[in-house]
Amino acid sequence: MFRSIFVLVASFASCSAFTANGFHGNFARNKSPSTALSMAHTLVLVRHGESTWNQENRFTGWVDCPLNEKGIQEATSGGKILREEGFTFDKAYTSTLKRAIKTLWLILEELDLMYIPIVNLWKLNERHYGALQGLNKQETVDKHGKDQVLVWRRSYDIPPPPVDESSEYFPGNDPMYKNVPKSELPKAESLKLTEERFMSDWENVILPEIKSGKKILIAAHGNTLRALVKHLDDISSDDITELNIPTGVPLVYELDEVTLKPIPHPDAIAPLKGRYLGDQEDIRRRIGAVLAQTK
Amino acid sequence: MFALSRASVRSVSRSALRSFGAVQTADKHTLILVRHGESTWNLENKFTGWYDCPLSDKGHEEVKEAGRLIKAEGLTADVAFTSLLQRAIRTLWHVLEQTGLMWIPVHKAWELNERHYGALQGLDKQETVNKYGKDQVLVWRRSYDIPPPTVDKSSPHHPSNDPRYAGFDFPEEFTESLATTLDRVVPFWNKTIVPEIKSGKTVMIAAHGNSLRALVKHLDGIDEATIAELNIPTGTPLIYELDDNLKPIPQAGAIAPLQGRYLGDQDAIRARIEGVKNQTK
Repeated sequence: MFRSIFVLVASFASCSAFTANGFHGNFARNKSPSTALSMAHTLVLVRHGESTWNQENRFTGWVDCPLNEKGIQEATSGGKILREEGFTFDKAYTSTLKRAIKTLWLILEELDLMYIPIVNLWKLNERHYGALQGLNKQETVDKHGKDQVLVWRRSYDIPPPPVDESSEYFPGNDPMYKNVPKSELPKAESLKLTEERFMSDWENVILPEIKSGKKILIAAHGNTLRALVKHLDDISSDDITELNIPTGVPLVYELDEVTLKPIPHPDAIAPLKGRYLGDQEDIRRRIGAVLAQTK
Repeated sequence: MFALSRASVRSVSRSALRSFGAVQTADKHTLILVRHGESTWNLENKFTGWYDCPLSDKGHEEVKEAGRLIKAEGLTADVAFTSLLQRAIRTLWHVLEQTGLMWIPVHKAWELNERHYGALQGLDKQETVNKYGKDQVLVWRRSYDIPPPTVDKSSPHHPSNDPRYAGFDFPEEFTESLATTLDRVVPFWNKTIVPEIKSGKTVMIAAHGNSLRALVKHLDGIDEATIAELNIPTGTPLIYELDDNLKPIPQAGAIAPLQGRYLGDQDAIRARIEGVKNQTK
């Protein structure tokens, strides 16, 4: 199969040279329809930037706090890189939380694509942090002990303590979710539960659009993007809990048209098959830096 | 021993009311309209139409204030509509941000675009007056049904040359008057927006001078001569209450010929409406 691709691609004048690692450059890039025969679907993911509660070091989850100035800059930078690299999109998905929505808006403004349809999916929301939502992280460690908090933060399938149905943090009490059956709304989630509720929208809502040839941009949260890349890149439950996706950095996947599996990019940083756009040194440092933040 | 479901109890009491000739409390549907704020081409005094220029700094501030006014009024919305032009989309985004409604579904449609200005798009207004004469330009700007000259597909202003209109068919020679704008706004209103309102949703629309003129002409039954002169101030929330038949319930404080009311400093608003009328160009 590769040999025939070589022949096809070599005949396009606009294609860049092949390297020993395989082909990249214009061929795999998300450019205007007139360029090379695309054998892949482009999907771009962006994790929203710093929020006011990140700054205050509080467990956020579904609390709808805004981006702070730094988060706004991160989103704008993400948009700029996408623009410089010639990306375009047909449709975008995001959560119902403003820190992700604002991130998306800023990126679309940079790309001059404000007119594309945007769909807000509550299933793209961050993992619900249960009764920890609103609490300061350090105070919580003081109260419950470092190990317990580490379990709640980093275990794959152990959720934090749930909120009560009467709590302001139970989404059933938020008009934003009035059209969602209360039984579907979380009181606390682990990464596993987050993954389970997101994957139904991935399969039923987003994937069909990708298959129909639309170029999709997803602006979302740390844990929902973890859930997605775990699925795309076949990452184990153990490995995914440690994986950090740097904020505001576009993560580009090329999905094989037939299998819908990611075509591994030579610049990908394991265990991901997609590649980050931007200063690779800086990105590697940021991924490593969060790993070192053992709390 | 018999259990009446809540629905059956409701329907019994409703029909009882009707049979007694009692006046049913009409369901009021709130509709929030906002014309986008000043754009960079407004500042440069150019005919804009479908050209996709952004808001000016003043325009951003105007519409943030519109959002604050809507919030202060205690209004909310369930769904929003806007055009494919960024000055309206950005206006909507500011309003949604100020009112804490960034999460509601937004439908963007070319049918809510500003009127297309044909071959005048991109031209400086004064230069156009110098070239064609004040009267001719006034006709193109303010007549109800005489459109400016057309553009064809060789023009960058023809929608076939803009990817956002891919999938839509526009005539080879394209231009619009207020009349033809209405011909695409009102069917869109009927087909796409009205069902949302009837299903009980509060609708917010961020759009343009002429697409909103088309809509209020339809809602308020305004005649052609009057609508061509009507100015809807930018960035000023315009609130309608519609009855079950989608007819406006005249609002206290409404400024004729509209039945909806503006939010904000009423004197300043009246001055702005009058002020543009006096701008004879």
